Amino acid sequence: MRLVFEPSGDAPLVWFEVCALGGAARDPAGVEGLTRHAAMLARRGTATHDRAALDETLDGLGAALDVAVGRDTITLSGLCLTRNLDAVVALAAEVLAAPRFADDEHQRLSRETPLILDEIRDDDSSLASRWFDREVAPGHPYARTAVGTEASLARIDRDTAHQTWRGLFVPRNVIVGIAGDVDDAGAHALATRLTERLPDLDPPAPITGDAWVASPGRRTVLVDKAERTQAQLRIGHLGPRYGDPDTAAVLVLETAFGGMFSSRLMQEIRVKRGWSYGAGCALRRSRRAHWFEMWMATAIGVAADALALTHELYVDLAARGLTAEELDFARSYLVGSMPFHLATARQRMQLAVRDAAFDLPIGYTATLPAQLGALDIDAVRAAATRHLRPEDAVTVAVTTARDTRDALAKVGEVEVVAFDAY
Amino acid sequence: MSWILEAEAQLGRSLTVKRWRWPSGLALITAIDRGAPVVSYQTWFRVGSRHEQVGRTGMAHLFEHLMFNQTETLPPGEFDRVVERTGGESNAATWVDWTYYRLSLPARDLELGVKLEAERMTRLVLDEGPVESERDVVTNERRERVEDDVDGWLDEQLMALAFEVHPYRWPTIGWMADIRALPLDDIRAFYRTWYAPNNATLVVVGDLDEAALLDLVATHYGAIAPAALPDDRAIDEPVQTVERRIRGGKPIASDRVLAGWKAPGQADPDWPVLELIATLLAGSPSARLHRRLVIEKELASSVDSQLTPFRDPSLLRVAVTMARGHRAEVALAEIDAVIADLAEQPPAAAELDKAKNLVETDFWAALVDADGKAEALGHHESALGDFRTLTTLAARLAAVTADDVSRVVRAYLRNDRRSIVIAEPDGEGDDGDDAGDDEDAA
Repeated sequence: MRLVFEPSGDAPLVWFEVCALGGAARDPAGVEGLTRHAAMLARRGTATHDRAALDETLDGLGAALDVAVGRDTITLSGLCLTRNLDAVVALAAEVLAAPRFADDEHQRLSRETPLILDEIRDDDSSLASRWFDREVAPGHPYARTAVGTEASLARIDRDTAHQTWRGLFVPRNVIVGIAGDVDDAGAHALATRLTERLPDLDPPAPITGDAWVASPGRRTVLVDKAERTQAQLRIGHLGPRYGDPDTAAVLVLETAFGGMFSSRLMQEIRVKRGWSYGAGCALRRSRRAHWFEMWMATAIGVAADALALTHELYVDLAARGLTAEELDFARSYLVGSMPFHLATARQRMQLAVRDAAFDLPIGYTATLPAQLGALDIDAVRAAATRHLRPEDAVTVAVTTARDTRDALAKVGEVEVVAFDAY
Repeated sequence: MSWILEAEAQLGRSLTVKRWRWPSGLALITAIDRGAPVVSYQTWFRVGSRHEQVGRTGMAHLFEHLMFNQTETLPPGEFDRVVERTGGESNAATWVDWTYYRLSLPARDLELGVKLEAERMTRLVLDEGPVESERDVVTNERRERVEDDVDGWLDEQLMALAFEVHPYRWPTIGWMADIRALPLDDIRAFYRTWYAPNNATLVVVGDLDEAALLDLVATHYGAIAPAALPDDRAIDEPVQTVERRIRGGKPIASDRVLAGWKAPGQADPDWPVLELIATLLAGSPSARLHRRLVIEKELASSVDSQLTPFRDPSLLRVAVTMARGHRAEVALAEIDAVIADLAEQPPAAAELDKAKNLVETDFWAALVDADGKAEALGHHESALGDFRTLTTLAARLAAVTADDVSRVVRAYLRNDRRSIVIAEPDGEGDDGDDAGDDEDAA
């Protein structure tokens, strides 16, 4: 067990996280949603508290105790008033070590999760992200849906979910983060209490290898939904791993192209043309190589023009990199913004837990300013050539096919799919 | 001329909050927070969508965009560039009672923030080109947040249904037809009318030297003359006497319900009671409506409640996303039953304490960083007239009794004072009372 602790006496609050390595990317093929199901079910009762009693007790203490499943991790996080910390930690420890996994709650959750799929399909931005994850690099573990599909959810059984939880939350597989109104000795005692009852099993084998091959060739998947006035666009491809030796260079590329209001995408798409309220890009931060992704939401009538212009800008970025002025500006922004990412004890704790989960060296984030300072324009251009692949960029457009298909087809090959087909 | 210290209060364990006044009427709220080498510099103008006219809706929000364009000394785009070069960020928000502009800056760049905000308070350049470009951006923002978003549509329809007279009835972003037609001369007049030191409060929280800040603000704002502000009294909405209900079709999987009961303004003594009632109804996993609708009867996938923090009377809202195959009316019947229970039988002490603890946790969590502290102070000062309504909120919540809860439920959560909007999957609607969803509807 590793402990990250950030004290702060500003408010009578304590935040804590118990993060286990192994998230949705580990779900077996065809059983997508398993890890999420296990996490949700673990929160629904313990050996001594059924779901109603657990909710009632935690709420009575004014506490929040939530589970979150990412691609790489599964995290139990808590927030509570200092005066109630002992009682909340006792309940959290019980959720971790002795979850009830009651059959009636398993059945109920199996009925509830398809409703989450409905809510995703009702929301265009969520729907675009769900389809983009699936299409951008088929076969990649991160392409698996964390929520699942109707078919995969039907294959989840309670015992497998229980084994999944029990196999992940073992002492050598967890990172504990504590922040807020507690002292050093108290934090260590809390970490011990949170983890001392976990089963002493071997940690699961990590997912290895970054050599997944992205789907080659530029293409567009049009997710057809009725009555849209806009096109929600996601454009991207498999990028490098966050923490890769080129990370600093990719950060300045990301920042200068779509990470600020002054960036190229925002200026060209929004400021000069008024085509979208927002336009940006980011490398997804994960333990392994993940997507480099651009996004915008344009009026239907200009969706094809916006996509064509984005391709044009991206081809130029990949070929030429940045100007010296852009590098200087992006570097200044990134270094200057560092205090905002580290401003609160909770932020510092969460960033340190994330870095540890990504298998980055302790204090990795603090080394970024030095890495950024050492960059020159040639290094940035070389990183752009290595990692930006406009020729393989996949576009997902959630919009109404009747109104946009012909125009989008002029930009490249278009496949139309029904919005609720996945 | 010099600053007058008007008010001082403690917020939490270590924050001393002060309000200073300059002879022009400009207010400055300061709070030193050395938790990080950053400052939050916020400028709150007491102008929001309530100050607009019929046919000119969206004007206040349009300024949230225009204020980042050209000024008399800054060329187009320069405002954002100088802020971003420091590592800082700028943003803005508009609501019914206020508009505020936020600069989050490294502490060493505080002077830059003072200069920038003083500049755009009165020296904004409003030319046709940038205005037209931002108009297009706002129409796209509206498409994203309303036309193509069922929750945005429900929100807009509810306010239009619940209010007949008060400007709260129109959306802060404005009706699409109005956004497209706002005349440039009216835009310029709106700026001259409302963007003035005597209609503004600066809220500065962070790692700062108070005396140096006072000097800086005096230097850069001191000569800005006050404006003759229009009358800004409370606006009376006629008492609602009958339930209002509309429905419309949307490409969604199941019914969604948004119900709103008339509630008092945030300064009303009953407002803290209603905040606890909202928490008791749907503010946590064990809350009454969540337990009944989502867990026990599996009628809904989610339920939320919210008390809108407006200056004038507004709404306590409950939003429900139904499970497939269950109609909105079933949820409304359950809501009626839960409210009737709460009206007849005061909550047990443990349940009331639960709500108080949950609200207390949320209260502190919202104040964890400089931006959060500044935003809370700015809202209370701008919407309610005194930031100390924030510093006394905990005591007012603590004083609420179980009998207060039942009394206030009976007074406000009445069916004749509620409005309901239902979105239902396309093709299932009753054509007779459709609200319609034409993007130009007003």
